[in-house]
Amino acid sequence: MEVKVEGGDEFANTSYGKICQDTFRDLGVRTSIDHTYLYIDPKEPVFLISVKIGRVASPTKVRDVTQPEIDKLKITDEKFAPKILAVLWDKYGERVHQIGRLEIGLKVEGREEAEALKDLIVYDPREDLIPRILDGIDRILPEGARVRYPLPSPRRITIIASENPIGGEWKKKAEEIVRVLGDDVCIK
Amino acid sequence: MYKIMMFEGGVYKFNELRELVEDIGGVIVQELVMQTDTILHMAFPEEEEREIRNKVKELGGKLIDLPLAGAEIVVVTPSLGKHHAVNPLCDIGEYLRRKGAITDMMGLARGVGKRIAQITAEEKMIMEECDAVVFVFGNLKECIEVKRGICDVIKVPYLIVGGPPDLELEHYLGGIGRRTDRMRRKEEFDTLEAMASKLGMILDEKRKEVEEDPLAASPLFIKELIELVMPPKAGEELPFIIHLDGLRMIIDDDEVARIREIEVGKKKLSEIGEIKKSLYRGYLLKILPEAVTGSVF
Repeated sequence: MEVKVEGGDEFANTSYGKICQDTFRDLGVRTSIDHTYLYIDPKEPVFLISVKIGRVASPTKVRDVTQPEIDKLKITDEKFAPKILAVLWDKYGERVHQIGRLEIGLKVEGREEAEALKDLIVYDPREDLIPRILDGIDRILPEGARVRYPLPSPRRITIIASENPIGGEWKKKAEEIVRVLGDDVCIK
Repeated sequence: MYKIMMFEGGVYKFNELRELVEDIGGVIVQELVMQTDTILHMAFPEEEEREIRNKVKELGGKLIDLPLAGAEIVVVTPSLGKHHAVNPLCDIGEYLRRKGAITDMMGLARGVGKRIAQITAEEKMIMEECDAVVFVFGNLKECIEVKRGICDVIKVPYLIVGGPPDLELEHYLGGIGRRTDRMRRKEEFDTLEAMASKLGMILDEKRKEVEEDPLAASPLFIKELIELVMPPKAGEELPFIIHLDGLRMIIDDDEVARIREIEVGKKKLSEIGEIKKSLYRGYLLKILPEAVTGSVF
């Protein structure tokens, strides 16, 4: 993920660059973001953040996080245990029972069903990518900047934030910035 | 004047040190024995330091200076949200505790922002219960310049810490602003050390003020007297926190009457100090100057 911060003094730009990197890394969305642009104007104060969404990781399937054994599945990544259980209960109902912390009992009948089980999707990063990016943006932007104005555009999340009402000139300026960054803004 | 230092060592002949402190008119502020390790915060008259050093040398322990001991310091952030807590709030708190201070943490209700930041009257009163305040602000120079105005209402000494290193402001120290990780590098420890020494200087000034108009009795002495009447209950930690000019007493409401009646020399505790309920925790005892109460002996 590339981060560009402009508008503030040298110290502010460097420190906010680091905050962007660390926050998105903590939320696990760094690899799904191509580019982050942050514009700081502490005098006004107005902040603009624009995040370009890149390639999202492919969905995690049952085969990726479990190891099949006779009449049971062994979970190899405990992080996904609740999700695997939920998916299996949803699909196979009472046939699924939890033997231990990392063991799930399930009798599969035939090769076809075994293959279908392995292909079940446990977690799709696309599901909650936008909420996670928005959470990251919320953590990056100063807490005082509570007045928000989103600018819709394809594959990009852009938000203007300030503690004062956001005027038309800032909206225009933000649209211009986004246009320069490479996306057309869907003007309402 | 009392000096507070920390002893770190084993339990061998440890009681001799305790007895020595008591013999020279000192007080044990805090004691922690963990199997074979002992940590002891002790206050003793400044002129007896040589005596204590000799004893510690004999016991084979370490003696560490605690420049902030005997003071309660509150670390204040604009909010308790992810933006300001837990880094660097906890780093600052921990470092101040290492230097001997008792610390509290506080997030303001409406402290965020530049123009909209404010301190409520109740928050101000809670901060003023402590001996010093450390405000932890963010990384934007322009914001700190405006926001420092809200700190002017505080009547106790305060220090503002923030990110920009080159800001010419009174009571300001740069290098500790909004962060996303812990302060664990050498230069970051140096910044924390600079903050602790600046606070030490601020507290020394306040100590001098108190010395110029001496209190009727030292808070350490009063703490000892109270503990004679009301020994700390099992499992209770620090029921009496020492301030520069009094005590914070974490006691039940029905114990206040007993505290008031405690005799300090010729007078009762209620005659030499003001006891009031704290807005934050327990009761506060503010010891009056000797000039007001007259001699207690």
